[in-house]
Amino acid sequence: MLSHNRKRQGTDFVEPDLPITPMLDMSFQLLAFFIMTFKPAPTEGQIMLTLPKEEPGGGASIPNPAAPEKPIHYIVRVVATDTGTIEKMTLSEEGSAAAVGKDLTGDIKVYRDEVRALGAALTAQKKVGKLTLEIHPKLLQAHVMGLVDHAIRAGFNDISPVPLDKKNR
Amino acid sequence: MSHGSNDKCEPNFTPLLDLVLQLVMFFMLCANFVMDQTNVEIKLPEAVAAKAIDQTEQYVYFLNVNEQGKVIFPPNARPVDSTGKEIETSDNPEQLFIVLRNRANEDKRAAGPGNEDKPLRTLIILRVHEMCSFDKTYDIMKACRRAGYLRVQLRAILATGLEG
Repeated sequence: MLSHNRKRQGTDFVEPDLPITPMLDMSFQLLAFFIMTFKPAPTEGQIMLTLPKEEPGGGASIPNPAAPEKPIHYIVRVVATDTGTIEKMTLSEEGSAAAVGKDLTGDIKVYRDEVRALGAALTAQKKVGKLTLEIHPKLLQAHVMGLVDHAIRAGFNDISPVPLDKKNR
Repeated sequence: MSHGSNDKCEPNFTPLLDLVLQLVMFFMLCANFVMDQTNVEIKLPEAVAAKAIDQTEQYVYFLNVNEQGKVIFPPNARPVDSTGKEIETSDNPEQLFIVLRNRANEDKRAAGPGNEDKPLRTLIILRVHEMCSFDKTYDIMKACRRAGYLRVQLRAILATGLEG
């Protein structure tokens, strides 16, 4: 016991020293790695679709309780080129007397302006619209998304993309 | 001119280390790891009207569709065939229908008796490559509808909409 006390009294106090430099080196390496591999992921979102009915003709499968009255049904027929881009579009209204729909050319800006005008007219009349996109099988998804996107922005909530050929619906 | 004490002058690394470790933590958390259900090879089209996923949706099933229209099942939710083998991809709408129908039956069982008429709990999200043709996408949508899934959404990258 006595010898132990003597030993403690004789020991010099040593301040503990933590070597920070290697830790800092490693931290900088990790930081450099994560900065170089950092790539912010693009923000993704969803677009809701109305799946067409099983029987030919297409239509809404989910009834919209907010729209008790019969919606005004517009149909856009989209013909694609061999490369999958838009060749020609026509717009018609269901039950319309006109045999041939309005020509929207192949320019999506013409389509955009037309659906905007329809959307504005529906809002002014406090009516509900429904849009069926009759799409050529070769049309690429990027163009399909563009058509649906413009229709949603124009105020259409009920958009149903279906094939051009009624047999394939 | 006085030369003072011989004390060693050392820079204080502790705050620097704190900062660096915080930065490391930030980049580690934000690192773009492969998500469980999504496939990084699918290049999505852009859309301004796309909305972020509803956080209340508990059951979401992603179907990744590549350029050729082949469905790539998520690694953590791959279906199994009759031999017990995992199905990784499918380009057959009939096979996809069987997979979805089995899942729909599970959803119906989970909903309990008397709730058969209610919409199925699972939301189907289609992540379709921007170069995939419409006929392939429509076949998948038809398989969803036949299996009983009416809540189907298309995934897109949120665009800024500056072009009007």
